[in-house]
Amino acid sequence: MVDLFSGQLLIAALVLAAIYGLVALGLNLIYGTMRLLNVAHGEILMLGGYLAYWTFTLTGVGPVWSMFLALVLAGAFGAIVYRTLCRRVLRSSRLIEQIEANSLLLLFGVSIILQNVIALSFTATARAYPYLDDIVRIGTFQVTADRLVVLGIGLALCFAAILFFRLSATGLQIRALIQQPDAALLVGVDVERMRLISFSLGFAIAGVAGCLISMLEQVSPFMGFPFTIAAFVVIILGGLGNLAGGLAGAAVLAAIEVYGVALTTTSMRSILIYGVFIAVLVWRPQGLFGGRSMVR
Amino acid sequence: MKKTIGTAFAATFAGAVALGGFAASAADPVKIGFSESKTGLFAQAATSQYQSYNLWREQMNAAGGLDVAGTKRKVEFVSYDDQSNPGKAVQIYEKLITDDKVDLLLAPWGTSLHLAIAGVIERYKFPVVGNTAASVQLRKLKAGNIWFPTSLFPDRQSDVLAALLKDRGVNTAALVTNQLPYTQENKSFVVPALKKAGIELVVNEDYPPNVKDLTAVLTKVKNAKPDAVLAYTYPADAVLYMNGAREVGLNQRVQVVLLGPQYDFFDKIFGAARNGILTMGHWTPARKDWPSARTFADAFKARWKTDPDFVDAPLAYVSVEILQQAVAKAGLDKDKLRATIAGTTFATINGPVRFEGVMNVALPTMISQIQGGTQHIVWPPKERTAEAIAKPAWK
Repeated sequence: MVDLFSGQLLIAALVLAAIYGLVALGLNLIYGTMRLLNVAHGEILMLGGYLAYWTFTLTGVGPVWSMFLALVLAGAFGAIVYRTLCRRVLRSSRLIEQIEANSLLLLFGVSIILQNVIALSFTATARAYPYLDDIVRIGTFQVTADRLVVLGIGLALCFAAILFFRLSATGLQIRALIQQPDAALLVGVDVERMRLISFSLGFAIAGVAGCLISMLEQVSPFMGFPFTIAAFVVIILGGLGNLAGGLAGAAVLAAIEVYGVALTTTSMRSILIYGVFIAVLVWRPQGLFGGRSMVR
Repeated sequence: MKKTIGTAFAATFAGAVALGGFAASAADPVKIGFSESKTGLFAQAATSQYQSYNLWREQMNAAGGLDVAGTKRKVEFVSYDDQSNPGKAVQIYEKLITDDKVDLLLAPWGTSLHLAIAGVIERYKFPVVGNTAASVQLRKLKAGNIWFPTSLFPDRQSDVLAALLKDRGVNTAALVTNQLPYTQENKSFVVPALKKAGIELVVNEDYPPNVKDLTAVLTKVKNAKPDAVLAYTYPADAVLYMNGAREVGLNQRVQVVLLGPQYDFFDKIFGAARNGILTMGHWTPARKDWPSARTFADAFKARWKTDPDFVDAPLAYVSVEILQQAVAKAGLDKDKLRATIAGTTFATINGPVRFEGVMNVALPTMISQIQGGTQHIVWPPKERTAEAIAKPAWK
């Protein structure tokens, strides 16, 4: 029997929660403000992974630093995608009626293009690099330093994002747009600007997440999709458009993945995760941490 | 006069066409077709097959062309993306044969695609030397138009591994297995093989392919204190196993990681930490009696700036070596080619290859181990390039 109170399991769950939280945050932000289902989210993460890999391989600069570059480049890429593609969908009276389905198709195309551009540019061969992989002993358990760094940066970014949305003027406007888009417009929120910022921020966070994840696993053109799926599970658990709820959803998913497996068997992992996912969709569609007003 | 000029022109034109036609047939490149898994589930794994194919094509063309029964002809590839989809591969091979009218075919990537195209090549009686496929199902295919040079078949691999474990003094083992087909097939054979060898299985758990953390199951393995750990992984989760085993402190002296250690990226991440890991594989550039193995490894690295993996890249290259030697002898006639492939012993980078039915009977099943940054064959004893070592403790 596995000791459920072991630090080893706790740290594994926390690292996973930080990764899921960060990945889901960007997706939730874009969905919350615009109702756009960004299925290319994992591919932005993948681009961040490649940026970290090439920066480290060519210059020796680690992902802890290249993530700032990823933040800027992914954010700029987000602005380009928003202005050239998504804004058209949002402005078209015909397309906006089924915005979720239309954005899903549009961004699915973007994801396929990104995967194949990277596969053609760098081949589909998996790539990896060693970074901060020394074992660190903490009390009775041990963990690799790269996972501690991912945990620290991941949690710091998640909490920084919460503070940004609660305290800054821009963050409050974005939250207003998420919760009451029509009312936000009436009270003078610059909806177009907030949408652009949200979209860029969503991409930027995904780019940073990719940099961090590249420390733990190999990067390849097709690495993003499982993270997109995980992010969707997290934001359904936490409540679509509910940013803080998404972080709590990430913790729930990580706990199921680590402690659920410890209590049962590894082969139960998917059954447990998707069992809870379906149960939440059926009995609490606003998410475990969302109020009814969040449902649209 | 007009008639004379006209006749002369017609005669010249006809001669030019005839000469041109003759010259074209001798100088025409040999068209070789195949489907590539450029996108989809297999894209990552399939890259090295394509790299080996292209390396060979470039080598052939640099040497003046492929020897087609005494005539050198340049090699030209015709390939399409099968999207890792067996149905798509079937369509592509049908098109390659009937529409593109290729002279030769190379294999697609993976067991499922090999099985899928078997019907098409049988229908058109078009011989194909397979490569990156290893399932006991392949033995059920009708012999005659498809052959498999590998010896990594799960049933034989399991027996050989059990013999090695017994030799290393293993009495108890833990098995964690990815739920994907190749690892599951291996599991289905290794469980009875271990039992037959008198090795007790103290942990036997499966995990889904999209798993992101193995800490819980590896903690169970640690608590069970087995003599050996068998991680039946695919490359992505092999990384999770290695990181998890280090953190949890699994210091068993015998650790098997099925798929992952063979690939270049694994070396990049783990470096010396992968020393002592046992894995599958029947090829190594360290074999002194396969001198072309080292030449291939060096050429691959020079061309692609990365080391070849120890499974798919050499197998793909072996398949084109077989085709090259058969075409030199038999030309492009399918019946002659079929008879030549079926009845010849070929010299390859993986030693001699000789087929009986669909199987290569000249290559024994082997187990490899990472030692000093490369992969050595450690079992069976008469094939080994190095003695098996105990896995050093994680650092």
